Amino acid sequence: MTTVLEVEGVRKSFGGLAALDGLDFRVEEGEIVSVIGPNGAGKSTVFNVITGLYAPDGGDIRYFGESIVGLRPNQIAKVGIARTFQNVKLFPNMTVLENAMVGQHCRSKAGVFGSVIRSGKVKAEERRIRERAQRALSFFGSRLAGYRQDQAAFALSYANRRRLEMARALSTEPRIMLLDEPTAGMNPRETIELRDHIVRMRDELGLTLIVIEHDMRVVKGVSDRVVACDYGRKIAEGTYDEVASDAKVIEAYLGRQHGEDG
Amino acid sequence: MSRLRATVTAGALAGCVSIFLALVGLTDRFADLYFVGDQASFGRLMLVIAPFTVGAILAKPRVEGGEIRERTAGAAIGIGALAGAVAGLLLGAFAVFVSAFGVERINAVFVNVTPSMLEFITFGQPVVVGALILVAASTVAGAVGLGYRLLPVAVRKPVGSAVITVLVLGFLQRIVPITLDQLDLERNWLYSRSTGGLTWFGAGVVAAGAAGLSIFKQRKGADIRRRLSSRGTDDAGMNPLRAILLLIVFVILLAVPYVTGKVISEVLGTVLVFALLGLGLNIVVGYAGLLDLGYVFFFAVGAYATALLTGATLNTFTGSSPPALSADLNFYLAIPIVMLIAAGAGVLIGAPVLRLRGDYLALVTLGLGEMITVLIASPWLVPVVGGPNGMRGVSDASMFGFGFRDPQHFYYLALAFVLFAMFVSWRLAASRIGRAWTAMREDEQIAEAMGVSTTRFKLLAFAIGGAIGSLGGALFAVKIGSLTPASFNVFVSIQVLGIVILGGLGSLPGVVVGAAVLVGLPGLLREFEEYRLLFYGAALVLVMLLRPEGLIPNIRRSRELHEEDAAQDKWAGELAGDEHAAVGVSPEGESAG
Repeated sequence: MTTVLEVEGVRKSFGGLAALDGLDFRVEEGEIVSVIGPNGAGKSTVFNVITGLYAPDGGDIRYFGESIVGLRPNQIAKVGIARTFQNVKLFPNMTVLENAMVGQHCRSKAGVFGSVIRSGKVKAEERRIRERAQRALSFFGSRLAGYRQDQAAFALSYANRRRLEMARALSTEPRIMLLDEPTAGMNPRETIELRDHIVRMRDELGLTLIVIEHDMRVVKGVSDRVVACDYGRKIAEGTYDEVASDAKVIEAYLGRQHGEDG
Repeated sequence: MSRLRATVTAGALAGCVSIFLALVGLTDRFADLYFVGDQASFGRLMLVIAPFTVGAILAKPRVEGGEIRERTAGAAIGIGALAGAVAGLLLGAFAVFVSAFGVERINAVFVNVTPSMLEFITFGQPVVVGALILVAASTVAGAVGLGYRLLPVAVRKPVGSAVITVLVLGFLQRIVPITLDQLDLERNWLYSRSTGGLTWFGAGVVAAGAAGLSIFKQRKGADIRRRLSSRGTDDAGMNPLRAILLLIVFVILLAVPYVTGKVISEVLGTVLVFALLGLGLNIVVGYAGLLDLGYVFFFAVGAYATALLTGATLNTFTGSSPPALSADLNFYLAIPIVMLIAAGAGVLIGAPVLRLRGDYLALVTLGLGEMITVLIASPWLVPVVGGPNGMRGVSDASMFGFGFRDPQHFYYLALAFVLFAMFVSWRLAASRIGRAWTAMREDEQIAEAMGVSTTRFKLLAFAIGGAIGSLGGALFAVKIGSLTPASFNVFVSIQVLGIVILGGLGSLPGVVVGAAVLVGLPGLLREFEEYRLLFYGAALVLVMLLRPEGLIPNIRRSRELHEEDAAQDKWAGELAGDEHAAVGVSPEGESAG
């Protein structure tokens, strides 16, 4: 099995507060890895460092063996790392289809002159962009299909916004997908549906996934492996059952003194 | 009680507006501009327009405790009359005050307060009688303003469009008759030779025509619009009706200079130059969302580069001398080079400000725009661009011996350039590049995370916007034939930004309409010339208040500004509940979400 992503000793601090303090973990191809940990454990920070939004203070991040530290976020998207955000971030005034088409940006290359004269090549590329964006949207069945494609993204329901964000990420044709709390704010029915989607992304699309998740039923349902962090460090790693029974993890979630908070 | 207070306040406000109009001299300035007959002048209109407007605004149904309060027509009109009376009292008091205090003493501060102005607003009567007439006129105006809004729509629309048409034609009394003469059409039935305004007969015919059209539009308008738009959105299947309409518009565009004559062609040429600048800035501000307050930079670069490349000479005290750097190219060979230079300049300007956003970007670009105006006037660059004396002898863009300096010829050159710029903008907006710009405008960080190189696309926006803007500069140089630094100042930047905002950010027809309104109207109406800035301010404030998405909005921009409304509609829809889902509006029960 090939290693897709290796995070090695990554450190990042904000004004003296260490959000990541030498975090290590690796993800093998075709795996679904969940990252768990209490609030402030540095889970979202690690996503931001991997995708180039923050530069790490130290350590290395390797993608298929090559360091991606120092690349711009758009270059990281191009090599095949896609992500969603904890608080959904769409292009609210673009239509659903346009949002997904933006994802195809890094897989297309029409320039100024081609776009102005609209050469045959550019037309074909534009058609391809549209088809692939539609394919990404169709991953969610009829949720984002039909008339909804021409709706402004802000007009979508909350759950559909989350789905659209994932579709936009899929549209960049990634090899690894980082999902930041994909089920946050969703009702139980939608959560179950989304759990299936996560598994399908691997089984049908052949993606590798890292999922930050708070809902332990989802974590249990999808993860091949779970990485638990606290204070920017890995405190446990293994299958769900191993991690869930780990003393340090329990301590991180519940505190040292028993009986205080259930 | 509060209702009385609101009415009196509104009336007082109207009175203040009337006094303001008189103080800045608008009332007096338009005293002899008759729109119909020999009494109804725009000056008189200035006296009653404020109470009329306030009356119309007061007609809005009042909401009290969540309920709409209906008024009887009589009571409502009484309110309008009261507001009008208050406004009239204020203006009357102003007249009395001016007369008692002494016109000369006030004139020392408010130069527009003159005996003729006082005479005009008091209708040539003794001042107290004049003031009473003002009160009466104002009261009637308020009542009429309110009464107008109470009319049923089927009546109100035709009446309104008849009145507005008469006013507009009256306003254009220097332009329409010339056009009629050019076309060898009889004008005496419509415009009176003695007053300049419409004749009563002409006004009647025009009003009837406008009302008829309005009624026709009410009955058939939706039908026609549907036929025009069906299949028209996609360029795959061109709607034949639309094609014919486009052809007609095109023919009219080509005929304009010879129908309207030299004076108007001159103004139209300026409008097109500014439309071109607007189209360039629209790419930077409207598409890419980068607020550029120094757009005059590209205007100057385009004008001076064209001058230098087409063999212009420097103005000196003794005559002229060749510049230190120059070429003597054909205008059409020079243009691509000018655009390349401007694009390069755009990248140069863009590079240092890449990291700046919003207000900071605006400030830096403002500074860069000021730099170019200082540079071209500086003694240091006299050998290259002539410094304060400028340059002369710019090519007239001759093509096979057909020069374009004549306003009627220039119009065609400018029109061709504008159509070219519109075509480029339209194609770019609908491409991958336009999508990247939009994404960047909506959320720069997310766009970058999704694979858009914001560095590259910002620079691209500056380069293309700059190249199109430089075309405006090149045209300007051709039109004037000589250049001085005085033509390039911050006011150009503001004017162009005003055009883009007024027309609607990101909207191509909006830019042209914006240029026509902000540059064309003041150019055509000499009365407006000294009130140009007042007019700009008022136009922009009104647009921002009433139509923040611009006159002809870009669909996405208008979504942006009405996002809240849509969210509310959706919320209301959700409140309406499951029936919605049950009738199948959403195929799979979105109410779960």
